Amino acid sequence: MFRPFADWLADTPLSKTLQDHAWVVPTSQSIHILAVSIVFGSACMVNLRLLGVGRSGRSISQLSNTVVPWMWRGLAALLFTGLVQTIAEPVRQFVTPMFWAKMAMILLVATLTALYATAVRRNAALWDAASSRPWPARIFAVLSTLLWLAIIVCGRFIGYTWSFYA
Amino acid sequence: MTIAELLAAVEAWPISAAMRGEQPGTEWLFPIIETLHVMALTLVVGSIAMMDLRLLGVASRNSAVSRLSNEVLPWTWTAWAVAAVFGTLMFMAKAQTYAGNLQFRLKFVCMGLAALNMLIFHFGAYRQVVRWDEGEPPMSAKTAGALSLLLWIGVVFFGRWVGFTT
Repeated sequence: MFRPFADWLADTPLSKTLQDHAWVVPTSQSIHILAVSIVFGSACMVNLRLLGVGRSGRSISQLSNTVVPWMWRGLAALLFTGLVQTIAEPVRQFVTPMFWAKMAMILLVATLTALYATAVRRNAALWDAASSRPWPARIFAVLSTLLWLAIIVCGRFIGYTWSFYA
Repeated sequence: MTIAELLAAVEAWPISAAMRGEQPGTEWLFPIIETLHVMALTLVVGSIAMMDLRLLGVASRNSAVSRLSNEVLPWTWTAWAVAAVFGTLMFMAKAQTYAGNLQFRLKFVCMGLAALNMLIFHFGAYRQVVRWDEGEPPMSAKTAGALSLLLWIGVVFFGRWVGFTT
């Protein structure tokens, strides 16, 4: 269904320009990985703290308020570099179920993160004490970690599986 | 035994052949190991970036440097060990090719310099951390943070480029 669109996109002048410069995709992918580091590293720090693993430095609310804005910045960089890679190689992305699964999971985890960050900002004291922390905290932590891991797997495997579908 | 002979011998090991997918059932071994390598390296770079950005005064300014260091660095070392194990497995698949690859060599030059930079910081500016723990790090600490950030960006870039040049 998306194949005609991908073929059309691959034929546009913008896509052709990106394809003509061999450095564009590797450079974009490198920046993409750096942004994954920021987002996934931040997510793991928050999630591990919510699960009670690791040394306690800052409070949950301090940590979240510091780290979550960096996750949004990282996500913006991911969307931009991801867009560059998609315009340069549209067929590779659109034919692979891995790509669509990845997009769906990103939407889900971004929504969950926004809900979590809002809840912590509204009621820091409640979230900071382990005794009063709302019960969804642990579910969010597990779900968010699993989603980010699955997103990384899908991202890497787009490159290894797309030729089966093209 | 020369280095060339050693590399050839490593490539001949059964586990190296498995990494190349040459043994039954190992077709997906390399992509799986590579994905695990990516997961670990994003945690290495993400956690180091957090430390570096604190030293530069860009992020986590509400957290003492020593506290952040105690909170983050155990994860950095663990993730680095995991990335190193999976990276070694990937190297074994095509040891001779990687050893002769310019980007691969530059990646390790960057990592070596990052290690040296870390040692100089640890036995230099960081020894007087109590004097600037809560506030603005001295210029030597900022320089160490900036160098570390640049060198690890280099590690990621050259690492990603290895996949495009081998």
